Amino acid sequence: MKRRDAIPALGAFASLVLVRAARAQQPARTNFAEMEQGAYRPTLRPAKPGAKRQLTDDQRDALEHRIKCQCGCPLDVYTCRTTDFTCSVAPAMHRDVLRLIEGGYDGKEILAAFVETFGEVALTEPKKEGFNWAGYFAPGAALAVGAVAVTMMILRWSRTAAANAPTPAAPGGPVPGVTDEEMARLDKALREEG
Amino acid sequence: MILIGELSLWIALLMCVWSATLSFAGGKLQRGDLVASGERGLYAGFGFVLLASLGLWTALLTSDFSLRYVASFTSANLPVVYKISAFWGGQAGSMLFWCLILAGYGALATWTNRSRNRALMPWVTGTNALVLLFFVATTVLASNPFERLDWIPPDGRGLNPQLQNPAMAIHPPMLYLGYVATAIPFSFAIAALVSRRLDAEWLGAVRKWALISWVFLTVGIVLGMWWAYVELGWGGYWMWDPVENASLLPWLTGTAFLHSIMIQEKRGMLRKWNVTLVVATFLLSILGTFITRSGVIQSVHSFAQSAVGSWFAAFFALALGASIWLVSIRLKDLEAKAELEAMVSREAAFLYNNLVLVGIAFSVLWGTLFPILSEAVRGTKITVGESFFNTVNVPLGLLLLALTGIGPLIAWRKASIANVQRQFAFPVAMGLLVGAALFVLGIRRVSPLIAWSLAGFVTGTILQEFYKGVGARRRMHGENPVVALGRLVARNRRRYGGYIVHAGIVILFSAFAGMAFKKEYDVAFADGQEHKVIDPYGREWTFRSDGLSEYRVLNRNVQAISLIPTVDGKTLKPITSEKRQHFDSRGEPTFQPSTEVGILVTQRQDVYLVLAGAINGTAEVRINFNPLVVWVWHGGVLMAIGGLIVMWPQSEKRRRQGGYVAELVPQHEAANP
Repeated sequence: MKRRDAIPALGAFASLVLVRAARAQQPARTNFAEMEQGAYRPTLRPAKPGAKRQLTDDQRDALEHRIKCQCGCPLDVYTCRTTDFTCSVAPAMHRDVLRLIEGGYDGKEILAAFVETFGEVALTEPKKEGFNWAGYFAPGAALAVGAVAVTMMILRWSRTAAANAPTPAAPGGPVPGVTDEEMARLDKALREEG
Repeated sequence: MILIGELSLWIALLMCVWSATLSFAGGKLQRGDLVASGERGLYAGFGFVLLASLGLWTALLTSDFSLRYVASFTSANLPVVYKISAFWGGQAGSMLFWCLILAGYGALATWTNRSRNRALMPWVTGTNALVLLFFVATTVLASNPFERLDWIPPDGRGLNPQLQNPAMAIHPPMLYLGYVATAIPFSFAIAALVSRRLDAEWLGAVRKWALISWVFLTVGIVLGMWWAYVELGWGGYWMWDPVENASLLPWLTGTAFLHSIMIQEKRGMLRKWNVTLVVATFLLSILGTFITRSGVIQSVHSFAQSAVGSWFAAFFALALGASIWLVSIRLKDLEAKAELEAMVSREAAFLYNNLVLVGIAFSVLWGTLFPILSEAVRGTKITVGESFFNTVNVPLGLLLLALTGIGPLIAWRKASIANVQRQFAFPVAMGLLVGAALFVLGIRRVSPLIAWSLAGFVTGTILQEFYKGVGARRRMHGENPVVALGRLVARNRRRYGGYIVHAGIVILFSAFAGMAFKKEYDVAFADGQEHKVIDPYGREWTFRSDGLSEYRVLNRNVQAISLIPTVDGKTLKPITSEKRQHFDSRGEPTFQPSTEVGILVTQRQDVYLVLAGAINGTAEVRINFNPLVVWVWHGGVLMAIGGLIVMWPQSEKRRRQGGYVAELVPQHEAANP
């Protein structure tokens, strides 16, 4: 091989290495987002003495809808583990849920255990306590304030409009600013409207 | 062509500077020659952005991997249609696409107003050029699709499999067309504020653009819902993701504007409010873009974190500050020309409708930003998911649905008690009838029961309005019902097109309520194995596995499972869900495996199948029964059709022949009381 032919070949080889290196650095993705496969942390508790299952399978699935998968996707544990096997975090969290259920823990205790491990971010919605109430009530409160303001504004406007309105004509008498011909046309139009 | 494209972007930047400077100078100095030159600058800007776009498309179609963008979002074996759609598949390309639409809209707005609204146009063109300048500058300096690599890779990374979907080829352009169209009403609002021409002139000019934006946003949002439903595999179409929310925000305020504009047109009222809504709609589209592109909030749809976030934050702050200042110095000019006369009037109903729409927008924005707020205040990260948004927004949505039916029933100015009784009797009876029938049929869940009762009420309103309109035409013109219906809609497009949109909303809300009854099963299938499950209607379904299969097609390896469903003794066609592994031209895998759902669509419900994965020949499958989903798409289509009818051009003469146009305050009177 001549020296000048070797340059493109070396370039192609270097490109190949760089492409592979770049790909190796690409984070894994689920259908939804880049995954943090290392995000899993075990949520384990010793089984209660004489532990009995307190949740049915349906209740377990409903509970898993309230626990957020920590892989980086926006899904709950149930939906993530039944959507995409690429994620290893949701199945691991599911196994913890199963162990806790077998250990005799109820739904509230299981949620609390996950919060202890991951923080509040383990829940799919904020706990209804403290500052979080602002999250729940602010939209309703803003709407209520808006409704009061709009109502007061309409009442004020309607009072002003009533005060500025021309004095009504006596029944059967002439209407100011309206000719007899116009009144006849209006009567006809109203009759046609039914 | 690629080099020309790259250079064109820089020239477009200069053209924007030229156009903005000369337009503003021309407006200020009342110099027609400067204004004309500014307008030509904007046309030229559009031409150069178009050239730049053609350059990028050429690079994508010829697989020029020397460009970082082409290497990052395409591969040699990517189907041509996705090479074309890769234009908006990544950050830099989509920025250029935004520029293209904005420049096109700006040129179109200038051209269509070449002999109208001339006093406003220097400021409109100048503002359009400034907004375009921001986008072109951000593209060139922070997210340049023509950036070159130091080396030329043999193949590109390929397009994310989730974006290799027909909906994804259409959904982003629709959304961008809607988002970007908000810039034109914004420019007219700024022009009206600067030039102090705040009468009906600017409103007439922006109404059509607001409608264009609304129709495209509607289509874009519904297509996005469809894409999420068929592509992401989680089983629903709306997860209150920040990016989904970002698209909803301008839609909500835009819808509010399309209602409140009627009050200003007819009564000369709500002038401050309308300016505020136009400005807010544009700013929310910028905020939405910031959310999508900054990486500040985690999202399914967002682009990778990049430098453009800070550019958008700065532009948002600047535009917000300038708008607030302009509105505040023009408050006196924005005083209402008439007073609202009664609490029971259509004006009042529209005001409450606006309040609820803006309230929902606030609630969505609040929920989207609350995790950031919570972290700032408490230092604790939280998740605000679907259940939070449903808790907060379902009551507001029901209120909005009720107002959709109430508004059209109340007369303008002041409704008498007799009028209210006569107008409400049929719709209320229909709502109660629907509610009672569903209760008898065993529906006990409160929210769906209320939603469907209200749907009955609003349907009653719409039917009554059409019935009265057709009846009036038949009496006046002796037309048969079909001709009368056609002419009624054709000659009063705004009103009856609006009712068609309302009908779409009713269908959409009814379908949303159906999802409250969805059922899901997590089932493992070995070859030939059967499982029985119950759907929300209480019917038993049997699914038999036809086995797992593996094959190669186009640019992917596929693992698929087919389930054969049987219901009511009838065997239906197989439903197939796939796991796909895409590869490049050398057979190297490009992304993680992705899921393709299988859906059996019926009018009652979708049977939705997800192959989560397979272990030792046993497939793990989730089966969802999603009631009424197809009606979401029907509702969306109807809304778009209604929007197009409203938007369709109509001469003023024809409009008046509709027989149902209330012109309570003539324009000249509203402007000069």
